[in-house]
Amino acid sequence: MRKKRVVVKDGLNIRERIGRGFRYIISHSVFGPITALILVSLVFIVGTGGSFLSLKNLQNILSLGSILAMTVFGSSLVILMGAIDLSPEGVIALCAVIGGLIMKNERTVVDVGFWAIPIVMMVGAGTGLINGTINTKLKVPSLITTLGMWFAALGIAVIFSGGSTNPIMDSRLQVLANGSLFGIPYITMVTICVFIVLAIIEKRTAIGKYIFAIGGNEILAKQVGINVERVKVIVFSIAGSLYGMTGFFLVARLLSANPTISRGILFPAITATVVGGTALSGGIGGVVNALIGAMTVTVLRSGMVLMNISPYVQGAVNGVVLILAVTITMDRKKISIIK
Amino acid sequence: MNGLPVIDMKAINKTFPGVKALENIDFRVQENEIVGLVGENGAGKSTLMKVLIGLYREDNGEIILRGEKVIIGDPREAAQMGVGMVFQEGCLLPNLTVAENLFLCQEHIFRNKGLLSVSEMIKVAEQQLKRVELEVNPRAYVRDLTQACRQMVEIVRLLWLSSISGVENPVLILDEPTTVLVSNEIERLFSILRHLKKETSIIFISHRLEEVVELSDRVVILKDGKKIAELPRDDAQIRKIQMLMVGHELAEEYYKESEQTQPGREKVIEVEGLEIRGKFEPADFSVRSGEIVSLVGVLGSGKEEVCRCICGVLRADAGKVKINGKEIKIDSPKDAIRAGIGYIPSDRRDEGLALQMDVMSNISLIVLRDMIRAGFLQVAKERKETSFWVEHCRIKTPSLKTLCNNLSGGNQQKIVLAKWLAARVKVLILDHPTRGIDVGAKEEIYRRIRMLASEGMAIILMSDTLEEDIGLCNRMLIMKDGKITGEISCPVEDKPTPVDIISYMV
Repeated sequence: MRKKRVVVKDGLNIRERIGRGFRYIISHSVFGPITALILVSLVFIVGTGGSFLSLKNLQNILSLGSILAMTVFGSSLVILMGAIDLSPEGVIALCAVIGGLIMKNERTVVDVGFWAIPIVMMVGAGTGLINGTINTKLKVPSLITTLGMWFAALGIAVIFSGGSTNPIMDSRLQVLANGSLFGIPYITMVTICVFIVLAIIEKRTAIGKYIFAIGGNEILAKQVGINVERVKVIVFSIAGSLYGMTGFFLVARLLSANPTISRGILFPAITATVVGGTALSGGIGGVVNALIGAMTVTVLRSGMVLMNISPYVQGAVNGVVLILAVTITMDRKKISIIK
Repeated sequence: MNGLPVIDMKAINKTFPGVKALENIDFRVQENEIVGLVGENGAGKSTLMKVLIGLYREDNGEIILRGEKVIIGDPREAAQMGVGMVFQEGCLLPNLTVAENLFLCQEHIFRNKGLLSVSEMIKVAEQQLKRVELEVNPRAYVRDLTQACRQMVEIVRLLWLSSISGVENPVLILDEPTTVLVSNEIERLFSILRHLKKETSIIFISHRLEEVVELSDRVVILKDGKKIAELPRDDAQIRKIQMLMVGHELAEEYYKESEQTQPGREKVIEVEGLEIRGKFEPADFSVRSGEIVSLVGVLGSGKEEVCRCICGVLRADAGKVKINGKEIKIDSPKDAIRAGIGYIPSDRRDEGLALQMDVMSNISLIVLRDMIRAGFLQVAKERKETSFWVEHCRIKTPSLKTLCNNLSGGNQQKIVLAKWLAARVKVLILDHPTRGIDVGAKEEIYRRIRMLASEGMAIILMSDTLEEDIGLCNRMLIMKDGKITGEISCPVEDKPTPVDIISYMV
């Protein structure tokens, strides 16, 4: 999965001579992660004797993967800047609980319908705004800021939910969560739309470039004149709104809201980020990597379930995969000291 | 030189806590002029330039740009006013492409219906790169470019920034641009700079006086924060500049030849059949006590590898090393240190010093083990030992607790030396000890090397120039393609000339 070194002579390189699509694949360190995704899939196709390829399983993987991808889009944007966001679990829980309370539910009389989506995204963005502001203005490391936000948001979620599950009675949610068009789940379509928007932000806007610049070298980025603090706050907020979207998806799937809905999502999100080829040191990776990483992790998880592998072994495999992926993707030249 | 100067800095003063960095400096740059700026380390060259691009704020004095008094807040503002600096370390982001780097923070120019037009960026980048005849794909990542290419890209970036701000005849400041380049790249840089001179002014900072004299129309010499002299091209001779920089006539015998000592009898270090396959062939040599042996050879001749092998950084495939006749096993730097081999790397910032630590900790780093009794560090002993070496090496530091980061390059170099002396090594490998150091500090280092030799240290030297090698060593080993191809003795009365030696090297 190591980033392929391309021979460069005065900047003119072999990438020129290959087709544009292929060039994209190798040039964005997407090559390794895609290979990994294909390999992992092959293992399970063989291992399950083909039942992995059943339509139902594929749909399941697509929709699970899409939900995970939504979170990974957010967390990997933050990691691209060389920071880290540990808050998704708490923020998703908070958004899910709030979303539950404002849709047609058993506990309140409020029913905003699908307006819940922008509202929960705003709630998520709000937490991101706080994360970003604390990180940049009070100069608290993102690790601590977001760790605090994780538990703070989770706590508020528990208070709002009263500690119990709140069933949702809006039947349209069921359609969104389980329906599909031409075999592609609606959830996946939404995720693909978000993916396209993020890809455009990454490639075609100034802030997209700034994210990479900050991840590459924050001091230089500042010298060039980038308003680093503003970019950080914006990115944390975008990430937060994506967590909000994830929260909504989870509520739709379960048709109920409770604060434990997001339990255990941080680990696969971080794993997916690095498995996708985004360097934890920042500056390398992107939204394409996030998508591939999310799919890889989902394939791995559901493949193991399909093969009836013991949950204990699954846990161990997940852990090993995380460390392995970091070992391979880390830019060691940049980091001389391990903390 | 006609008309108004592009830059006119008048009576610039700048004080840092405890140091008067700039004192009443007047500095002027005309249109289409290359100005060489020289001075010893700490003479104020960088400070002056940093004031000019707004990284520092002058205490008083004024900067007049093209006849208008200006206040420059930061490098970006400076660039918009047509003054840009290419730093030694480089200012490009390796994980972005050339085009992205060129236009970083100016993306709004390429905005089309709210989105950036990538094709437009690439097109403009290609046009701009052509200005310096640089054949670089704007889509290439900067991390894949050579240092020379990066420098060019940075120059292009500065030119472009000033051109979009509508500034004519921008000023480029190049801070030691040639230290990271090899000779044909330097030639290329110079030809491009001469070409650029038609539309820009250039301020060129370098320690290599030959380059400054070759390139500049005028040389400005700073010393201790003051402008000492200003020489027009025809008047700028290297010898004269050196003299002005140091402030006194350089000793006739620059390399302290008269202090060269006869080596002792005993061989301190013997190397027998040392080999790393593919890097260098079996090498045999020895160094006596008090002897200075130079390893010379072009880049890739294997001399660096031999030295790195002796000090345990690289592992040998075969051969042995004897210290005082006793064979030692060197598997790691630790083994080498224990055996009494010290290595002073050329890159003191990265390899030689822990910059974030204080002077005392750096000097006592290796010998710390000897200062521990019953599991506790004896701080008093450490302090006593350290202050002895600080005195001995004449390290100028406010206190033992000063962070190395805050000391000058020359003093940092001395601390590295003190560290090894404290460890009482018998062999010292000096890897380009005078790289990036000005004339005055060089003299000090030569004196110290002589002193070490007279105290009986065996010294293996790799140096920047052949003259330095010849001047300093007792004996010279010449390496070519991984093989020791010749041995020339250099007694004081009969030093060979560089021409004699080059014939062995290539």
